[in-house]
Amino acid sequence: MSVVSAVSMQKRKNRRPTALRLTPYAWAKLLYLRDAGPGEVGGFGIASPDDLLLIEDVALVRQTVDRTSVVFDDEGVADYFERQVEVGLPPARFGRVWIHTHPGRSALPSAVDEETFRRVFGRCDWAVMAIVARSGASYARLAFGVGPGGELELPVEVAFETAFAGSDRLSWQAEFERSVTLRAEPAEESFSLLDDSLGALIWES
Amino acid sequence: MRILMINNDGGGFADYLDVAPGTSVAQLFERQVGGRAADYLIRVNRQPTPADQVLQEGDRISITPTKIEGANVFPAMRVREGA
Repeated sequence: MSVVSAVSMQKRKNRRPTALRLTPYAWAKLLYLRDAGPGEVGGFGIASPDDLLLIEDVALVRQTVDRTSVVFDDEGVADYFERQVEVGLPPARFGRVWIHTHPGRSALPSAVDEETFRRVFGRCDWAVMAIVARSGASYARLAFGVGPGGELELPVEVAFETAFAGSDRLSWQAEFERSVTLRAEPAEESFSLLDDSLGALIWES
Repeated sequence: MRILMINNDGGGFADYLDVAPGTSVAQLFERQVGGRAADYLIRVNRQPTPADQVLQEGDRISITPTKIEGANVFPAMRVREGA
């Protein structure tokens, strides 16, 4: 065996399994934002320059939410993209990992999530849809829009081995309040407001 | 002339481009992005823009996705809602 192939084999052996990883800072911020209001919340992951599947921060865009949905403001998305470009980030670092929360138990994507992922991110070379439920369940899927395409579910992990800053709840709360508008609930509750685990039971029956 | 363009499709793009004088927003969109313009918010210098607007030296054009939405509603619930 040549030296080159031995080194290559060792590198493969040492490589971590592919996962969507968040630094402890990003993970803590995501959980804080998830729990800051009664509804869903969404944003983009900002990735490390050295590892596009390592999320160093989570950024909200202006959005309207209720207990079961989140809708990004189109101008807010454009403002977010322009701000990130102004600080020198390429779109691959700030516009490819779409993260949102589910207020219930399930982190599995809904039909709306799937439609958005296909329509909005399907023309990107690659993108990730990540969901974190209030129960703690998580889901991530990496999709490739180039070549033969393809999709791969990823585990979601916290990268405790990375350096990370401490909690910054004041600025996280300020970002939440600046970005998130809670839509008034209809007076009469419908089935859509039921816990999603019940929805799964209905679906199964 | 040079403009700055921001676009998330493909490999993503956020850089300066040389375009011919007289190039319109619609022409640039067709050349650089393609697809349905209705799926994007197209702004020039942070302002919404008509498709026939002619780009000027130094303009910044951003082409960003629209209708990003998520929901936590299972299909079966929708059936019940309509029942």
